[in-house]
Amino acid sequence: MNFFFVALAVSLGSLIVKGLFTCFVPHSRLPKALDRILRFIPPAALAALVAPAIFYAKTASGSVFSPARLAAGLGALAIAVYSRNVIVTIVSGMALLLLLQMVLG
Amino acid sequence: MMNPSDPPMERRQKAFFEPLRGARAVLPILVGIIPFALVLGFIMRQTGRTAAESGFFSFSLIAGTSQVATVHLFAAGAPFLVIVATAIMINMRYAMYSLSLVPLLEGEPWWKRLLCAYVISDQSYAFTMAEVENNPDNGNIPGFLIGASLGVFLPWAAAIAVGYHAGSIIPASLPLDFTIPLVFTALLAPQLKDRPRIGAALIAAAGAIVLVPAMPLQLGFLTALLFGVGAGLLLDRKEATA
Repeated sequence: MNFFFVALAVSLGSLIVKGLFTCFVPHSRLPKALDRILRFIPPAALAALVAPAIFYAKTASGSVFSPARLAAGLGALAIAVYSRNVIVTIVSGMALLLLLQMVLG
Repeated sequence: MMNPSDPPMERRQKAFFEPLRGARAVLPILVGIIPFALVLGFIMRQTGRTAAESGFFSFSLIAGTSQVATVHLFAAGAPFLVIVATAIMINMRYAMYSLSLVPLLEGEPWWKRLLCAYVISDQSYAFTMAEVENNPDNGNIPGFLIGASLGVFLPWAAAIAVGYHAGSIIPASLPLDFTIPLVFTALLAPQLKDRPRIGAALIAAAGAIVLVPAMPLQLGFLTALLFGVGAGLLLDRKEATA
């Protein structure tokens, strides 16, 4: 089996999934009620991306609960809510994590 | 920022610079994704791909997790249909992203809607939705999205090439992977504007903590996302009737 063939099929299939709605469904064809649903997608998606990444640390033996990452992540969320600034959030979150890792071992 | 009384010329100029604003906005997340791309390049080589295959696939797919899964399954000799179906399942979340982009892409030509779908990533989607919240008068969200996406993708692809040839050159002891959730946290903050949306985020977070390690193929993420949306709708209805 040629890898280029597989790569092309995977890429085309993924492009169809990615463009499923943007390319094939005009806004006027979407039911009005859907607009209420759509505004929940960004907060739900972001929270679902963030939560496991701060709750678990990846180790050689799999994902394990990490109190340092969770505490640093929650601290960063509080900072993000007040600062609304990406750089401030990264710098303070990383500083918190490094500090907590030193304290908690 | 932009208001209807702006002279048309100034407005066009502002719209013209949106791709650049998008590309500049995503700069902070490069700290987190470049180490991942270096490792990905290394994996491409370890699983026996040529440099040409690695480069072609990185450009044709633009979706890291499914890229790892594909080369891994291919190297393990998995059947063609299993590989393709697995990659599509992993990328199913993009259907949700693209659904929420439909109102923002209204009236755009088909090629631009296709381009947005092709280049989008978790990161550029997150930055674009934050821009929508923070700057509702932005007249060129598709331009912002394309700029943000290329601002993520081009350095990412370059880092895959570096990782392919040089291996991972960043010490694993530095927890740089943590910068990715930190950026998403910063982008989550402007979304938490009312009780239904806070509820949606809380339920999705709790769901993801339980389901992501328990389900394969990022299906845990997708399920948690849907639970979050459902929780938001329930709270929304409760507030409307209260």
